[in-house]
Amino acid sequence: MTQVMTNMPKRTEADRLDRGGRLDRLKRRPEIGVFLVMAIVIAAIAVASEGNAFNALGLKNNLSIISQFGIIAVGACLLMIAGEFDLSIGSMIGFAGMSMAMMLKWGLPFGLGPATPFTAFALTLCMTLFLGWLIGTIVVRSKLSSFIVSLAFLFFLRGLTEVSFRVINKSTQISGLPDYKETSWFADLFGGQAFGWVYDIWFRLGGNANRAGEQWVAGFDMRVVWFILVAGAAYVVLSRTQAGNWIYATGDSQASARANGVPVDKVRISLFMLTAFCATLFAACQVFETNTADAAKGNLKELEAIAIAVVGGTLMTGGFGSVIGVVFGAVTFGLVANAVFFIPAIDGSFYRVFVGAVLLIAVFLNESMRKRITGGL
Amino acid sequence: MSGPLIRTEGLVKRFGPFTALNGIDLEVHAGEIHALLGDNGAGKSTLIKTLSGIHPPTEGQIYVEGRPVNFRSPRDASDAGIGTVYQDLAINPLLSVTRNFFMGRELRTGPGPFGMLKMDEMDRITHEEMVKIGINVSDPGQLIGTMSGGQRQTLAIARAIHFGAKVLILDEPTSALGQKQQMEVLKTMMRVKKRGGIAIIFITHNEIHSQLVADRFTFLALGEVIGRGTKAELEGEDIRHLMAGGHEIRDLELELAAV
Repeated sequence: MTQVMTNMPKRTEADRLDRGGRLDRLKRRPEIGVFLVMAIVIAAIAVASEGNAFNALGLKNNLSIISQFGIIAVGACLLMIAGEFDLSIGSMIGFAGMSMAMMLKWGLPFGLGPATPFTAFALTLCMTLFLGWLIGTIVVRSKLSSFIVSLAFLFFLRGLTEVSFRVINKSTQISGLPDYKETSWFADLFGGQAFGWVYDIWFRLGGNANRAGEQWVAGFDMRVVWFILVAGAAYVVLSRTQAGNWIYATGDSQASARANGVPVDKVRISLFMLTAFCATLFAACQVFETNTADAAKGNLKELEAIAIAVVGGTLMTGGFGSVIGVVFGAVTFGLVANAVFFIPAIDGSFYRVFVGAVLLIAVFLNESMRKRITGGL
Repeated sequence: MSGPLIRTEGLVKRFGPFTALNGIDLEVHAGEIHALLGDNGAGKSTLIKTLSGIHPPTEGQIYVEGRPVNFRSPRDASDAGIGTVYQDLAINPLLSVTRNFFMGRELRTGPGPFGMLKMDEMDRITHEEMVKIGINVSDPGQLIGTMSGGQRQTLAIARAIHFGAKVLILDEPTSALGQKQQMEVLKTMMRVKKRGGIAIIFITHNEIHSQLVADRFTFLALGEVIGRGTKAELEGEDIRHLMAGGHEIRDLELELAAV
């Protein structure tokens, strides 16, 4: 006779999830991988550049490019969490820059007279937000992949930018605009400088001096402020608000979100408008800082934005991602992109080698993380 | 007993030339589990999608508590007290228990979608509702992906009830689960029934499960009702016969023997 087993398991279902200690939970955070990469890159570049990458000017230049990457990557990240791509970001940057510079040089359209930095920016923003809305609406209505719809706009907008330049301006570049940031507070918001006190204190402490012993660098670029604002707002919205829950829900399973009354179409259209907004911000900082525009501006930026979002732990399939990870990713990519200026021995194209390698590793890590947290589903 | 909680009259649904439902009359009463049985393609899914506001009916009328209703969206149906738990559960595996529980109906302070989430309160309510239905979630912040299939079903049911479902439509709640988890879901259904006031429409392939919990049966085949009755009225043999869409199991046995 076989013995009947009667001792039922005393473990409950809840016991099966081991929450682990603080270190375990830290290891499970999506940002941990990119944080380690960032730490290594910072250390390596600091050593290889003999500290020049983080002296007064190095820090300013590095933070400037980090912020450029960050502004568009945060937008791309939120859109990717909602399960969509926007390949038109780069062309949108070119379009917005062209639009602002042309209005400043040739006046407002329809004979509305000369443009101020504010009217040029406002009118351009209206157009880019409309384009973002249009892309989103086409994606939502047609149920086509956003990859293909935004790819169409990548070509369309770049072409439109070049044609507009040639027809109106006879050249695909504008340079020598007046230095608006000196005369207009609005232009100064984008092209000016901020956090001058950091450099003032630095100077008083004995650093930040040029050969003549005067203060060397006056402040960070304004786009650093914009990056902090955009990333901070995105972080709060994503993790603390109802809209954030909608964004996650939309990307995780659109059908589920819809069945529970989440306005998934509005969420997606709004996020396409957000990426258009980020592209416009990027362009405004560029135009008002350098007082130039070029039809090639923003080329390939959409792919860098997506790469940064992925390296920051955002899932290609949507539903998961973190703004903090994207900030770390932007720091990493910005430093490596700029490294050639501080380490003359290396070839600048190593940047792309680095991007490719890190991207591939990140995708594998993200996929294994997704499997782990969903129990292999 | 008062009138049925939900009633349909001559419900017809056509998709172009295809007639998915051909005049369905259905009555579901509070405090009962109503099993809706039928083979694949019998129209079960179309029927519940019509009841839950995904498809508008081509003809016929739905009544909730005696009042005629016209659902234009799933939101309308859930506002009228019809909570549907789909086969895929409408659950997001990458979100936490709480975030799933309140998906689309988040508690917030402040205006519009940019109001701050009341995370503590939502965690507390989720925990309470899950305990009420028989699962003690240790951490409402855990991801759904870490829960078992039965627990996910239970979460979806608890969510529907919390948000005011008087009619609970369960679409094949046991089909994708292991044996033990199936029992868990059946127990959950009985607990909900005990609370009273809620009607459950239980769509299933599994006649054993339906006999275990259901009070009333409706059988569908080719978009029509081919049989109905209470548990007392129907014998096991009838159920099996009707499950097969009215075909005799004996015929099948003969056919199989002839192969």
